[in-house]
Amino acid sequence: MRTKLAVMLAGFAFVCMAVPVVAHHAVGAEYDASKPVTLKGTVTKVEWTNPHARIYFDVAGPDGTVKNWNVELAARSALARQGWTARSLKIGETVTVEGHLARSGVTGVNARSVTLADGKKVFSNNNDQ
Amino acid sequence: MGRPDTRETGPVPMRRSRVRKLLVVSAMTAALLSLLVQSASTQGGPETGKVAAARRAGPPKGPVPRLPDGTVNLMDGVWTGGGPVNDLESQGGLKKGELDALLLPWAKALMATRDETQEPHNACLPMGVPRVTPFPYRFVQNYTHKAPTHMFILHEGNIHTFRQIFMDGRKHPAELDPTWLGHSIGSWETKDTLVIDTVGYNDKFWFDRRGHPHTEQLHTIERWTRLNLGQMENKFTLDDPGAYSKPITMTFMATLQPPEDELLEYICQENNQYGAATIPGYKGPSLGNQPVK
Repeated sequence: MRTKLAVMLAGFAFVCMAVPVVAHHAVGAEYDASKPVTLKGTVTKVEWTNPHARIYFDVAGPDGTVKNWNVELAARSALARQGWTARSLKIGETVTVEGHLARSGVTGVNARSVTLADGKKVFSNNNDQ
Repeated sequence: MGRPDTRETGPVPMRRSRVRKLLVVSAMTAALLSLLVQSASTQGGPETGKVAAARRAGPPKGPVPRLPDGTVNLMDGVWTGGGPVNDLESQGGLKKGELDALLLPWAKALMATRDETQEPHNACLPMGVPRVTPFPYRFVQNYTHKAPTHMFILHEGNIHTFRQIFMDGRKHPAELDPTWLGHSIGSWETKDTLVIDTVGYNDKFWFDRRGHPHTEQLHTIERWTRLNLGQMENKFTLDDPGAYSKPITMTFMATLQPPEDELLEYICQENNQYGAATIPGYKGPSLGNQPVK
């Protein structure tokens, strides 16, 4: 039992080591970790660029008003090294984005995860490099 | 009769050694050319998507690879690490306060005005020396048939940057107009350590996100020693009498990336939206030794 726990801990430490925790810039100055948000909407644009890839999507508010949100992902270079491409997400797809709100209050979010309608995640592990 | 010209008919052993040298240099040039052709494509390849997974195996293992002239081969892959990002002091292996204690009063006061939103790096400006980014870099050595002439360090990330290091024995010019990456001369110390000596820096880049400053008097010495196939130490000496009371040396470790990795295109200016919409009252980067107004 103890061995199993040790192996699990070692595995966890290994995974932590393998994921670089540095980003192009310090994310915390732009996005507020104390303001998590979950948004669901339809993808209108994919920007496969540096220093960040971005997706834009239309999200309907409780009153039915639709707003276009700007979603910051990791760098294109980092996503490419994880196996993602510009074709991993298509315009018109429905996605759920979990992330942190921009400090200024604009409709901007730094994504922690992007999930497709069928539950598959795209651009996972983002923002870690 | 004049003295016979022995250039064409020199002693056989010397000719053989010349031929051997020429063959070695030709082989090295061919290898370099193929490497440059590979690097000229910034698309990576079908293997690029496997890099993150391959990294989990840790740095590649094996002995230090060497070139035919006995010096360390630094050109067999791309590297990450080897310099600071967040904090020069702690990432360089110094004790807390060890570097900061050397800051001259004006430099300490300037650093106190800086916060990470103002760093030039956020505006797609160069990261300076010895700073690194999360993205890889590659050493490329240029040869003539006699000897290395230049070492280039090609940085993928933020921003596409090359450092040019003169390996031909020249000295620093007496007067230099300051630049972001300075004037670098390099040499091999006992064939194990690449020593890069640089002056002529401007005062614009920040050493790290904490905003450690410097002046145009900055002089840096990097000692790159490959410890094994996968790891290389960068012993870095910071010598800036304009901002620090004495020189100080710190140590960083670089890691060879898996063979699947190549330099990719990274055009930071294409879609940099840093701060403009997201940070209330964002003022842009702070360059040089004047605090942001």
